[in-house]
Amino acid sequence: MAVLHAWRAARVTPLGELHAPPRMTAVLVRLTVQVVLVASLWSGLYANTGVTAGMSREQAITYAVLAVLASRLRELDQYAGRDTVIQHMHFGTIVYWYLRPLSPARYHALRALGEQVYGAAWALAGYAVCLAAGVIEPPESAAVAGVFVVSLLLGQLVLYHVMLLLDQMCFWTVRNTAAMLILIFAQNLMSGVYAPLWFFPGWFRTLSTFLPFQATLNVPLSLYVGRIRLSDAGGQLALQAGWVVLLHLFTRFLWRRAARRVISQGG
Amino acid sequence: MIGSIEVRSLSRSFTTTVRRPGFAGALRSLVNPERAVKHAVSDISFDVVPGELLALLGPNGAGKSTTIKMLTGILTPTSGEARVAGVVPYEERERNARNIGAVFGQRTQLWWDLPVRESFAILRDIYDVPGAEHAARLREFDGILELSAFWDTRVRHLSLGQRVRCDLAAALLHDPPVVFLDEPTIGMDVVVKEQVREFLRHQVEQRGRTVLLTTHDMTEVERLAERVVLINHGRLVLDGSLDEIRRKFGSTWQVRATLADGHTDLAPPPGIVLLRQDGPQVVFGPDGPEAPTVHQALKAVIERYEVTGIAIDEADLEDVMRAAYAHAEPAAEGV
Repeated sequence: MAVLHAWRAARVTPLGELHAPPRMTAVLVRLTVQVVLVASLWSGLYANTGVTAGMSREQAITYAVLAVLASRLRELDQYAGRDTVIQHMHFGTIVYWYLRPLSPARYHALRALGEQVYGAAWALAGYAVCLAAGVIEPPESAAVAGVFVVSLLLGQLVLYHVMLLLDQMCFWTVRNTAAMLILIFAQNLMSGVYAPLWFFPGWFRTLSTFLPFQATLNVPLSLYVGRIRLSDAGGQLALQAGWVVLLHLFTRFLWRRAARRVISQGG
Repeated sequence: MIGSIEVRSLSRSFTTTVRRPGFAGALRSLVNPERAVKHAVSDISFDVVPGELLALLGPNGAGKSTTIKMLTGILTPTSGEARVAGVVPYEERERNARNIGAVFGQRTQLWWDLPVRESFAILRDIYDVPGAEHAARLREFDGILELSAFWDTRVRHLSLGQRVRCDLAAALLHDPPVVFLDEPTIGMDVVVKEQVREFLRHQVEQRGRTVLLTTHDMTEVERLAERVVLINHGRLVLDGSLDEIRRKFGSTWQVRATLADGHTDLAPPPGIVLLRQDGPQVVFGPDGPEAPTVHQALKAVIERYEVTGIAIDEADLEDVMRAAYAHAEPAAEGV
């Protein structure tokens, strides 16, 4: 099976970044600024209050800073490296994805895996620094840490499939810029990057449960800070797994349909 | 058979939306779109034997690229059948991928942000090529294409000529018996073009690869191809050697004449066609299979026009192809 030998495809993003030091510097600066601002913002908001929306000051800061770090796991950059679906559709090079003994679906998944592992290295480094500096709290127990890791992985799988859906859209529309802007906003708002979902009104949280975004970050982060109890973790993990299965089946169907669109859109 | 290409009655149609002109037209197209069927390729058949380099020629929009896309498995034909190295490409896409290499003009398959050698390494792993074989093949390609001078450079920093050479190497790294090249030398300078031609000759003559080449560069055709398939408006017009084409379209000669002032009626004598005109300078060629010999043509031109100078040339391949394309025009019906 070609996929076993094709692991190098996962190295494309990390290698590309290592060959472009200015891009790495930009990530470092952006991440530092974001963490400092977010930590300051939530410290300020909690200056004159105790527990709000069921979260203490430490829980809120930890949640918000982890959200910033975790959002780095899969950067929503469609123009880096000239190896995204939108760029291949634009340049007509998508045909090469169909000329290799590795299916486009597997290649796309390997590329995304590399991106997420690379992003995880940044997130882990940021986590270690923030933990050492006392900006964030460690998990309450080893069990919480374990459940958090499983939930984060499932959340990343959900996010991968949501991103894949947008990529697949390019086979029909060539460009997905408008959809991407909506997605970035929806993802940041409904996953808890802008603010923990617990601060939103009840109807909004209910609405969020019908969409996949909260499964990407809100669930793992809430487990980490203890806002979702360990005893409730099973249901949340099952919900995340359900989203993964549902999105996987749908994107697999779309890959089959997309193959028929290669010529008319990709030249 | 390994390395062979068999094409039988291959056709491909596309349904497109007719775009009406103007704002109102665009609005009508949006509300009530009118569909039209476009026959990109109609009932073409040909074979390529292992180790042969075939030039697939035709004017822009003739159906060359569509044909190549069906043979590479990217596109499924509307009807007919194709086999490449014994595999039906559009039915077994991944199996076919191991048997073929492809370069599509200036579209690169290399990874933009990585040094070229990293791209080669990724392709090596995708195609599961053993390390020693990969290294030996790279050495061989480097010998002709001089890749090592820039293969540690990131693809985004390569010149067009360098990038196309790398793309050629990338397409052949897994040792495919069949190679499809869709205008591989477009936009390249003469030195690099010659380097690429030498590389292709080597791959065909020494490695026995089957190459299907599309190009608008007739020098390339003359230097590389012994056989040509000519298609126009999606239909096969001719399948034969370059000599046959020259014979069939009769352009084995040209009469270049300088006409005296005041000539307005340029209708040529029967069996002769006006190929070009630049002021008083005109070039005539034979028209169809009943064309006169060059001496008869010379006599006919002198008798019909008042000429101040005249010369005879053997036509180059570009003229032959121009005549061939013009000859194929009536086949446009139904397109």
